Amino acid sequence: MTADVSPAFEPHQLDEEEFLREVHSFSFWFEAVEGYLEGRPYGADPELADEPMDGDDRDRLITTLCNYCVGEVTALEASSGLVRLAPNHHSRIFLATQVADEARHVEVFLRRLDDLGVLDGEAEVRARANPRLEEFRQRVLEMVDRGDWEAAVFAQNVLLESMEDTVFRFHASIADPVTRQVLEGVIADERRHLGFGENDLGRRLARDPAGRERLAAIRAELDPLVLGSFDGVYRDLGLSRADQPSLGRDYLAAVERLGLTT
Amino acid sequence: MSKATDEQAAPAEEQGNRSAVAYESVPGTVQPDEPGDGQAPRRTYELEDTGFREVPKRWRKFYRVWQGPGDSLAPNEIICPVCKVVIRSHREFRPGDRAYCMPCMSRMIVVRMPDGTLGAEVIYQ
Repeated sequence: MTADVSPAFEPHQLDEEEFLREVHSFSFWFEAVEGYLEGRPYGADPELADEPMDGDDRDRLITTLCNYCVGEVTALEASSGLVRLAPNHHSRIFLATQVADEARHVEVFLRRLDDLGVLDGEAEVRARANPRLEEFRQRVLEMVDRGDWEAAVFAQNVLLESMEDTVFRFHASIADPVTRQVLEGVIADERRHLGFGENDLGRRLARDPAGRERLAAIRAELDPLVLGSFDGVYRDLGLSRADQPSLGRDYLAAVERLGLTT
Repeated sequence: MSKATDEQAAPAEEQGNRSAVAYESVPGTVQPDEPGDGQAPRRTYELEDTGFREVPKRWRKFYRVWQGPGDSLAPNEIICPVCKVVIRSHREFRPGDRAYCMPCMSRMIVVRMPDGTLGAEVIYQ
C-alpha cells in the first residue's frame, strides 16, 4: 500500500489503478473481515443466547438455511473454478478471498443447523434443497467447466449474489438474534462479491458492447430459476406474497446499469 | 481566516447525520471547483468513525450504513448505487466529483439527480 494516509487524504483521491489494487488485495480483505467477524467464531457471538422457537418456526428456518447452504456451495464451487479462468492477478487474488468467504458461509450455516438440532446437516440440505436452485447450481458449474468467464461471473456474482443479498437483508430484519448476527456477517461479504461481478462485467461490456446480447439471453434463461427459488425462501420465512418486499429490485437495477435488459 | 471562509463551515442542521461534524476550514482545504468558476468554496467536514467495519480501519470513517427511512444525507455524502452504503468525503460533494465505494469496489461520478439531490453513476471504464 503506497497511498498517502495523512488525515486529510481520502480514498476518493486514490489513482484508479491504486484503488483497484487496494480493494482486491488480501490485506484489504483480511482487515475488513477482522472488523466484523472478530469475536464471532462461527458468525455469531458465542455468548448470545438462542431465543425459544416453536416447532413450525424452527422447521421453516431449517429449510431456509438448507437452501442458503445450496446457494453458498454453488458460489464456493464456482468461485474456486473461476480462479483458473481469471484474466489477471487482481481478479485471481480477489476470487481467492471469495472462496474463503463462501467456505465460511457454508460452515456458519451448517453450524446454525447444528444449533437447531439437525443431526446430519449435509443430508438435511440434500433433502430440503429447492430443485430450481439445484438446477441453477448445475448450470453455473457447467459455465465454469466450459471456461465461460463472463457467463459464470454474471450468474454467480451478479444474479446469485444480488438475490442472496436481498433475501439475507430481509431475513436479518426479522430473524432471531443468533441467525441475524450470522446473516450480518454474510451480507458484509456479499457486498464485495456483487461489486466485483458488476464492475468486472461493466468494464468488459464497455469494451465489447456486443457481449450484452449474449448475457441478456443467459439472464433470461437463468432468472426464473433463481427468482423462483428465492420466492420459495420467502414462503419458508412465513410471508404471504402481499407481505413480500420487492424481491429482485436491486438485482434489476444492476441488470439495467449493465445494459442487460431485454 | 476571512469571514467568507469561516462561513463555509456547514451548519449542524445541514449535516443530516450525527457523525458529519462541521469545523472551521483548515487553510488550503476549501477550494472552488475551478479558480474563478463563480461557485462558492466547498464546505469541509471532519469525519468520525460511525462504526462501519467492512473496510480496513484507515478507511472506515469514509463510509457508513444507510439507516433507511428517517436517515438523510449530508452535502458530503452520497449513496453507492451498487451496495447502498453511504460514501463520505471531507469536502462537500459536487457534480463531476469522483468517488470510490471500497466496500463493493465501485468507482463512480457524482451527478445531480432529476429531483435536485446528489446521486452517483457507476463508471466501468
